[in-house]
Amino acid sequence: MIKHKKAQWPWHGLTALVLVGLAFSLYMATSMISYEWRWNRVPQYFAYKAEEAQRAAGYGTVQEIVISGDNARVTLKDENGAEQVLDVAKDSLQLSRGDDVAEGDQIGVTRHWAAGPLVWGLWTTLWISVVSGALGLLIGLFAGLCRLSSNPTLRDLTTVYVELVRGTPLLVQIFIFYFFIGTVLNLSREFAGVAALALFTGAYVAEIVRAGVQSIAKGQNEAARSLGLNAGQSMRHVILPQAFKRVLPPLAGQFISLVKDTSLVSVIAITELTKSGREAITTSFSTFEIWFCVAGLYLLINLPLSHLASRLERRLAQSD
Amino acid sequence: MIEVRDLLKVFDTRGHVVRAVDNVTTQVAKGEVVVVLGPSGSGKSTFLRCLNGLEHFDEGHVAIDGLQLADPKTDINAYRREVGMVFQHFNLFPHMTVLENLCLAQKVVRKRSKADREAKARALLEKVGIAQKANEYPSRLSGGQQQRVAIARALAMDPKVMLFDEPTSALDPEMVGEVLDVMKTLAQEGMTMVCVTHEMGFAREVADRVLFFDHGKLLEDSAPAAFFAAPKDPRAQAFLRQVL
Repeated sequence: MIKHKKAQWPWHGLTALVLVGLAFSLYMATSMISYEWRWNRVPQYFAYKAEEAQRAAGYGTVQEIVISGDNARVTLKDENGAEQVLDVAKDSLQLSRGDDVAEGDQIGVTRHWAAGPLVWGLWTTLWISVVSGALGLLIGLFAGLCRLSSNPTLRDLTTVYVELVRGTPLLVQIFIFYFFIGTVLNLSREFAGVAALALFTGAYVAEIVRAGVQSIAKGQNEAARSLGLNAGQSMRHVILPQAFKRVLPPLAGQFISLVKDTSLVSVIAITELTKSGREAITTSFSTFEIWFCVAGLYLLINLPLSHLASRLERRLAQSD
Repeated sequence: MIEVRDLLKVFDTRGHVVRAVDNVTTQVAKGEVVVVLGPSGSGKSTFLRCLNGLEHFDEGHVAIDGLQLADPKTDINAYRREVGMVFQHFNLFPHMTVLENLCLAQKVVRKRSKADREAKARALLEKVGIAQKANEYPSRLSGGQQQRVAIARALAMDPKVMLFDEPTSALDPEMVGEVLDVMKTLAQEGMTMVCVTHEMGFAREVADRVLFFDHGKLLEDSAPAAFFAAPKDPRAQAFLRQVL
């Protein structure tokens, strides 16, 4: 049978239509429970104008007020003749010239842009993911090689580690770590969260590494050893580079999982993205909008991650 | 150069005991080319792999250039860098270019400078006739070319002995010749070689001695002319009737 090349675009169009339909039915569903969409409340959770109160240092009188643009420069003078100069926003100025002020009186406020809770949450999620991912990769590489070691103790210990970690829920592990590290060792909750995530990821990476190394033909190691390389050199120069290429897709999946699993550390009161979202909802009451934003921010981390992985995969495939 | 005394290797798979190499004693002099023949499963490959310690043997002694393999004080990696090995399935490192394949062990084991090892690698590639493929990946090469790269890779370590484990068995027939030519050149240059092969022509033409194995036992050790004209052992006679 002759293969005909058919146009693809009508199908892509259908895909877009299906997605639009889904979005519309979601909108209809929320209007049925008379949900009011208020997207205008969302931006302030990303960035907002913070106000900082400027106060008088001691008793004194307002000596001078110089207005320049939106700002006002207020000069206070106390009984000893010492001057205090304050810059405040013009519309927040609460005094006029000659007024007496007491210590701690608010003269006005200054305003500046500040990152909102969602941005801080995104940052916390990012650094927890990066740190625990890097640690997890190291632990996993080491544990994976130990599982292949000829030493029975190393093999047994890593098997116990992998089975323990894979057989218990991450949430329970986080609680155990929080209690143990927080109470017994007296370290911060962030430390407990990162440690739990790193050990959890390490167990899965260990299995990925083991599978990858075992998938490389025995002849590769024999060839390397017959050239005089020792076991470690053969592993480093011959086996691991080939194994890495093969395990890149599952490894990328594991790291994407890790980014999402960081949402669990919110239970030990680390204000990462999910917890910031929950806090934002308590003040905005815009449940759908905030959760959609939170989901979008997770995607913002994970989509580039999987794109990066597939690009790396293509680059490593050049020797095939 | 190579001394093998009372070599015994037993495979024990779930109570099924196979004496893969059974009390083999032989020597290979410097510059000698020895071809190992025998039916499949006769233990000739296992014998060869025992010579550089890829297979741990149960009893006996193997020594190359006076260095005892069974001696626990012998550094196995120092031992192996004097013994080049060529495999049936080439076993080139697929993630490296041909040049990198040749340079890896020179760099990691011999600690040669970049200029030295690349000059050595290019000279060897020239010698085996594929200098123009230096920057290709092994997957772009034909089987015969890959095997020639594998020979060059082993030679790059300046080994005192070369072991060949059925180097032409995985090749298409038209590529066997180019690999055998490289091996012949090596033999003429005085390299000490032990070859497990099914190429009777090569054995007849190049070998100084032929060893015949069956069921792990070294049954015959004679010059090729004598071996092919009048094999003494009845199993060698049967084998030659089958293959010739």
